[in-house]
Amino acid sequence: MNMLETSKRALLSAGYMALALGFAAPAYADPDAGEYRIGMVSDDSGPIAAAGQSYHQGADIAVAEINSKGLAGEGVTLVLDVKDSGSDAARAVQAMTQFGSDRNILAATCCILSAIAAAVSPIAMSNELPLVIYGATRASLPQEPYVTSVVALPGPQEVAMSERLATELKPQKVAYYLAGDNDIFMARAMAMKEVIEKSGAATVAEITTLTADTDFTGPATQGIATGPDLIVVMTTQQPTIGIITALRQRGYEGMIVTSEVLSPPAVFKKSGETITGIPFALSFQPGVSDSDAAVAFIDAYKAQYNALPDVYAAQGYMAIQFIAQGLKSLDGKPTRQDLAKAMWGTAEIAINPYGGQPMENGQARTPNTLIVNWTKDGEVKLWEKP
Amino acid sequence: MTLFLEQLVNGVSLGSLYALFGIGFGLVFATLGVLNVAHGAYASWAAILGYFSVEYFGVPFPVAVAIGVLGGGLIAIAVDQIGFQPLRGRKTGMLGALITSIAFLIILDSLAGMATNHQSWAFPSSSFPSGMVDLGLIRVPQMQIIIIASTLICGGGIYLLIQKTQIGAAMRAVGWNPEAAALSGVNPQIVILLTAFLAGATSGLAGVLGGAATSNISYMLGEGLLLKGFAAVVVGGFDDVRGTVIAGIILGICEVFVAQYLSTTYRDGFTYVLLLTFLVARPRGLFGSRDFMRA
Repeated sequence: MNMLETSKRALLSAGYMALALGFAAPAYADPDAGEYRIGMVSDDSGPIAAAGQSYHQGADIAVAEINSKGLAGEGVTLVLDVKDSGSDAARAVQAMTQFGSDRNILAATCCILSAIAAAVSPIAMSNELPLVIYGATRASLPQEPYVTSVVALPGPQEVAMSERLATELKPQKVAYYLAGDNDIFMARAMAMKEVIEKSGAATVAEITTLTADTDFTGPATQGIATGPDLIVVMTTQQPTIGIITALRQRGYEGMIVTSEVLSPPAVFKKSGETITGIPFALSFQPGVSDSDAAVAFIDAYKAQYNALPDVYAAQGYMAIQFIAQGLKSLDGKPTRQDLAKAMWGTAEIAINPYGGQPMENGQARTPNTLIVNWTKDGEVKLWEKP
Repeated sequence: MTLFLEQLVNGVSLGSLYALFGIGFGLVFATLGVLNVAHGAYASWAAILGYFSVEYFGVPFPVAVAIGVLGGGLIAIAVDQIGFQPLRGRKTGMLGALITSIAFLIILDSLAGMATNHQSWAFPSSSFPSGMVDLGLIRVPQMQIIIIASTLICGGGIYLLIQKTQIGAAMRAVGWNPEAAALSGVNPQIVILLTAFLAGATSGLAGVLGGAATSNISYMLGEGLLLKGFAAVVVGGFDDVRGTVIAGIILGICEVFVAQYLSTTYRDGFTYVLLLTFLVARPRGLFGSRDFMRA
């Protein structure tokens, strides 16, 4: 091997290396080191504070993890700027307007209620502020490129659960408790009803309640009087607990099925054995979810709050991880516009407690479905036919 | 028939809560001339105090009820003395008192939200009478019987207190004209304190019993009772306990039957139509005296 060949090889190698590094650069891009502020419109108070606080705590866990592990880039730290809306649309709009005007806010995350998400989205769009929706479930909320949602659209999980219940339980008469003032829960209930009716079960009652209701003795009496062997409760959290409690207190011993609103540990603490054995579908649950990311999240949450996270905490966690992932893919001084484009183009949220979270056009797709129930010991296990 | 009867009992029980809550609301308005919207917060706080006493001190349910009732009464006295008493001296009228009561509602609700961490809690089912009583044709929850009995006892007791005792005469006198009552030897301050306590205590009783029966103890508990209790007072008559009790029970029955036989959508609408009808057509309510001017 002469000197000329050696030089050629060295030059070629250097060239390939430079080329490789050049192509690889975006994958290893890091934003400039420094502090980046993320606005969060929370629901720490108000009628859905039980869930709202979980979202917030999940987001805090994500920020701590991202900062300690450098997940958003070397030397990059995220700071959560929280404004509590109390589930009040006017306060949420005011908070989002402030975030939009504050150029130190790089991105924002918001909203459990779809109506509020729809109200704040135009503000994010007009301020070119990337907004990640963490809780609202209405379709068509994402708007390219600024508004994205890490919430899988409702329906598929309830449908999967309904199919299984219809197959295994073979109900003949089914009563439905509906949320008359919540179109999302109404749509979820109708999706379940369609599946259950296809299996041959008759609908014996559709009982509408309202989110602000607290007395369910009347609706419980009404439902039990129709003699159902399966009762579907598809309402928001407090009515769901109230309806189930009233049904059980009045002696209904048949099968009840509901949604993930039953999943938070605080609900079991409140209701205890009343809610055991009632199946609900979701994508994340401590004791059942066992991916590395899920276990790490659960451990961190337990260490911080001395409690187990629920699915709402997982959503808050994922919203911040999604923003960090978008930020990590950018070079130099990130702008709101660049971050929005990066997030809109994301196909998968890499760090998620669901064992996979695909994204499509800014909208999270349905991850895996777990059908679970509370046991008498206060644990959540995969549901089995009794 | 069974369904009808069970729903009737449900309605009477629900209405009894409205009535129990409304008794104190009407009492304060008739005697002290205050339309006190903070009255709802007394119910929330009483339920919260009752719950905490069971959860953290393991007291029996009757003791928890007593703590809630006492707590509701004492909070009502505190609100009256801090918020309303200074206004009486300045003769600010009903508007000043109303605005003050709104401020107290916000403050007390916010504090209650902080105390409960904005969560909804429930008495453990083993801590209160949560069984059913078999009455032959129908089965009735024990709590419903307790609520109905409490309302009848409280309603009857307060009616007798106001109408048949010297204290009641003093309350009526202060409600009519505090200066004249004072000149005739009545101590208005004692009457004011007693009235505030009774109002807070009955509101508190409604809060604790309602919180147990519905498995819902939260800082928003009183809000649900406030408008319905107000409706019961308007329909029944501001200055007559009997009217409040009867109107409250009618409201409860109507609500349950409208939801059962028409639709939940019309349930609250029915209440407010009834409220408006009475305000327009018979502002003194079912039993209110014709010369009661505050309405």
